[in-house]
Amino acid sequence: MLLEMRNASISYGKVSAIRNISMRVPEGAIVTIIGANGAGKSTTLRAFSGLEPLQAGEIHFNGKRIDRLPAHKIVGEGIAHVPEGRRIFPDLTVEENLRTGAFLRRDKTGIETDLEAAFARFPRLRERRRQLAKTMSGGEQQMLVIGRALMAKPKMLLMDEPSMGLAPIIVEEIAGIIEELNAQGMTVVLVEQNAQLALDLANYAYVLETGDMALEGPAGELHDNEHVRAAYLGV
Amino acid sequence: MVELLAQTCLNALYAASYMSLVAVGLVLIFGVMGVINFAHGELFMLGAYAVVALYADLQLPFLFAVSAGLVFVGVVGLGMERALFRPLRNNPLGGLVASIGFLMILQALAVMGFGVRMEHVPPVTQEVITFSEKVHLAMPRLFVIIAAVILLTALWAFLTKTRFGWALRASAQDPEAAALQGISINQTSRIAMFIGAGLAGVAGALTAPLVSVNPHMGHSVIVTAFIVIIVGGVGSLEGAVVAAVAYSLVHTFVTTFYDGVIADIVGLSLMLLVLIVKPTGLFGTADRA
Repeated sequence: MLLEMRNASISYGKVSAIRNISMRVPEGAIVTIIGANGAGKSTTLRAFSGLEPLQAGEIHFNGKRIDRLPAHKIVGEGIAHVPEGRRIFPDLTVEENLRTGAFLRRDKTGIETDLEAAFARFPRLRERRRQLAKTMSGGEQQMLVIGRALMAKPKMLLMDEPSMGLAPIIVEEIAGIIEELNAQGMTVVLVEQNAQLALDLANYAYVLETGDMALEGPAGELHDNEHVRAAYLGV
Repeated sequence: MVELLAQTCLNALYAASYMSLVAVGLVLIFGVMGVINFAHGELFMLGAYAVVALYADLQLPFLFAVSAGLVFVGVVGLGMERALFRPLRNNPLGGLVASIGFLMILQALAVMGFGVRMEHVPPVTQEVITFSEKVHLAMPRLFVIIAAVILLTALWAFLTKTRFGWALRASAQDPEAAALQGISINQTSRIAMFIGAGLAGVAGALTAPLVSVNPHMGHSVIVTAFIVIIVGGVGSLEGAVVAAVAYSLVHTFVTTFYDGVIADIVGLSLMLLVLIVKPTGLFGTADRA
């Protein structure tokens, strides 16, 4: 088990965001967390990358307890987070954005190779490498932040609503990229409001409802689940 | 007349040189740490006193005294980051107030160490470059101009071509996203504070032989620095340099052709004009302002 969350609870002041959540992410899997707005999906992801402290519970990654680590140390453990709303560095160029992803790495040749690989995977980024990131379209920015996360050479990728605000054709492209990465061995935790997309991509799914774990199971099963279909697949 | 213009331009260039160092330092600190360092003028003063102590009193070489001044004030900046700004990170107004308290401490220390009277630092050389009968540039002033160009170029190279430079800028733009790349805000704050304070200190050190060094010399510097960064745009380093040049040109010209008080009024009016027409400053972006 690469990532494990045990009985985690997070509150913002008096407001409880997630309660007693447990999850397991096996190595090489795509695991998704779906749920409505405000269900606690992003909070859970932010807990994994150290942006939110736990009020209760533990998180273990690669055999090591990580829930007490500050965010900037968790990248070093092998977890890269593609945040909600993309969060590019707007006044840095595309290339500079990518290079910040490699901040903790000291292998200069490796970084250059991976930069080339990023441009090969996302040709549009190569075209725009000297442009300021803020001048790019939503889809291009999404690819940029995925590329940036990959520059850290992570063992696991956390993706927070990568489809948000993007045209269906771009969403398809991104889904393809996630599949490709996973085929190459990347473990992915995907948070999505677009349940259809999430269940198509994932092996296993967790359904959060107002901070509680409502359902979990193999993605295919959840896809056929009556409640999921009614509440999240619009069927 | 042409000669007067040329001379005034040279004077303005000199003023712009040390003002850009101070202003860029202030913007760097604000950009990365979100805190307005009111003690910045006193860091300038500290650099000047470093030269008084090392060069004028101890007769050490000028270049050494200036470099030591840069490092010393940079380290004071590190101390400020750790003791003042880090504990007050979630309270920028508190950080501002703390910096006001600290500037008073620095002034008091200067008075205790050196007394209230003005120090005179002998210039390194009395040489003057003469362009014509009425147009000349004193060598010490040329040093300041050259040093400013070198330091600002080095800073530009650092910010655009090194991983810590990108980290600093990233942290200024989105500290949380930066943390997700492994960039710690403590680390970038330390770097920003060392460089920002160091720039103010080296500006003070370089101009020590050319101005009257006294414990309150920081006051006019900070006022000008604030005008410059407001005009340039509070988040922008390039804006700080451009505004420093523009402000120095305007101020020097008005002082030469009218007087210093009117120059101050014109300078402040310029700032007001910018605030009315483009409140975020010439190069500023809306979010930081």
